[in-house]
Amino acid sequence: MASIFETFLNGEVMLESAGLLLRGLLVTLEVSVLVIPGGIAVGAALATAASVAPPWLDRALSWGVDLVRAFPPLVLLVLIVHGLPFLGLEPPPLLGVAIALTVNTAAYYGEILRAGIASIDRAQWEAARSTGLSTPGVLRFVILPQAVRNVLPDLAGNTLEAAKLTALASAVALPDLLRMARIAQGVHFNPSPLVLAAILYLLFLWPLAGVVRRIGGRTTLPV
Amino acid sequence: MALPVLELRGIGKAFDGVPALKGIDLSVHEGELVALIGPSGSGKSTLLRCCNRLTEPDGGAVRFGGRPAPSGGRALAEARRRMGMVFQAFNLYPHLTALENAALAPRRAAGLSRKAAEQAAREALSRVGLADRADARPDALSGGQQQRVAIARALALRPRILLLDEPTSALDPELVGSVLDVIGSLKADGVAMLIATHEIAFAREAADRIVFLAEGRILESGPPEEVLDRPRSARLRSFLRRL
Ligand SMILES: Nc1ncnc2c1ncn2[C@@H]1O[C@H](COP(=O)(O)OP(=O)(O)O)[C@@H](O)[C@H]1O
Ligand SMILES: [Mg+2]
Repeated sequence: MASIFETFLNGEVMLESAGLLLRGLLVTLEVSVLVIPGGIAVGAALATAASVAPPWLDRALSWGVDLVRAFPPLVLLVLIVHGLPFLGLEPPPLLGVAIALTVNTAAYYGEILRAGIASIDRAQWEAARSTGLSTPGVLRFVILPQAVRNVLPDLAGNTLEAAKLTALASAVALPDLLRMARIAQGVHFNPSPLVLAAILYLLFLWPLAGVVRRIGGRTTLPV
Repeated sequence: MALPVLELRGIGKAFDGVPALKGIDLSVHEGELVALIGPSGSGKSTLLRCCNRLTEPDGGAVRFGGRPAPSGGRALAEARRRMGMVFQAFNLYPHLTALENAALAPRRAAGLSRKAAEQAAREALSRVGLADRADARPDALSGGQQQRVAIARALALRPRILLLDEPTSALDPELVGSVLDVIGSLKADGVAMLIATHEIAFAREAADRIVFLAEGRILESGPPEEVLDRPRSARLRSFLRRL
């Protein structure tokens, strides 16, 4: 009977599948690098639009955000990736996945930033307006810097969630880290590549979790 | 005769059908300091906020620099720059230093270069006696210093008039003097000001004119000695007695 080491920590198998897994890790990192800044940018656009929008538009935005958040992320991913071709859009698979995950994660970033903006006293808007700043100027230089600092722990936490979410990409056949690990597992009839993938995920996410914890411990702005 | 900088004609404002201002006529001339006095709730803040349309008046006209004040868009933003506003609660930007607080609008609203904006901010901080605290954040400053930075923030835009809403009401008594001294020195420099205040002694000494507001109407208006020493209405007499 094979020992537990030969089954789960088979060095030979790990070594042979390492190249494949590193290619997969690269894809995972590429997706993260698209989804996290994309989600922050779209989320910030949603939150700032909501902060200056007339009530009906604000309500419409909330409704859309709730709709997106109601979908299990995997369902949303499959729906968008397989739905885009019907709209005549055939983006490369990596981009399709990035768009789908950005939609999901932007809804959360958007809600966090909206709460951050709401935490800033109206008096700050008025003081800034009284100096002749335009609405975009008030948001950019006065409101958003304070809003972001007030919700930094939540933003950091959502970033960790977004990075983990990239593993869903394997479900739509994107050759990411998890997908490559499962291919290697099939080739070698051995689960060691999955263990190696788990180690690689941890190498990339554990430090991020530490950063999130440290930011979470920081106090928010004094009022 | 000095020219009028700011003129209000028939300004009215109601909140949810309850009138807060009822037909205000008032003008402030170049170099003039006009003090608004009156009980809490009489409409002093609303009047000041109608001047730069932080509150939109329901009716009446605002003239600024001899012309109708713009009611929206870039022209309104520019007019606001030229009517510096100072708030009771300072409302400094807590994430910025004193210098950055004063340099932000010169750079981002008036479009000055970074260097010119900083220069304007430094000059404004010196005028309020805080050149040495340029790099301090608001939370490291006393209330009196914070209010002086707020005055510098307005001054850095080279305004034609300052609108001050009870600038010393949120301060500990021992800090009031430093802020009133700064306002007095601006008056000596010829800065036009419209100031809501409960500091009657200061108003008597520094104001060219005192305007008494009650229930959204101007009941009396004139030189300090006249308004304060020879009040004509029972409302003003009882207001002055209770101070
Ligand atoms: N934003 C507002 N919404 C509703 N009522 C207001 C608002 N601002 C002022 N008021 C009312 O208008 C009246 C005048 O208020 P205000 O101008 O603040 O007076 P003062 O500054 O002299 O104390 C008060 O009755 C006040 O309750
Ligand atoms: Mg008031």
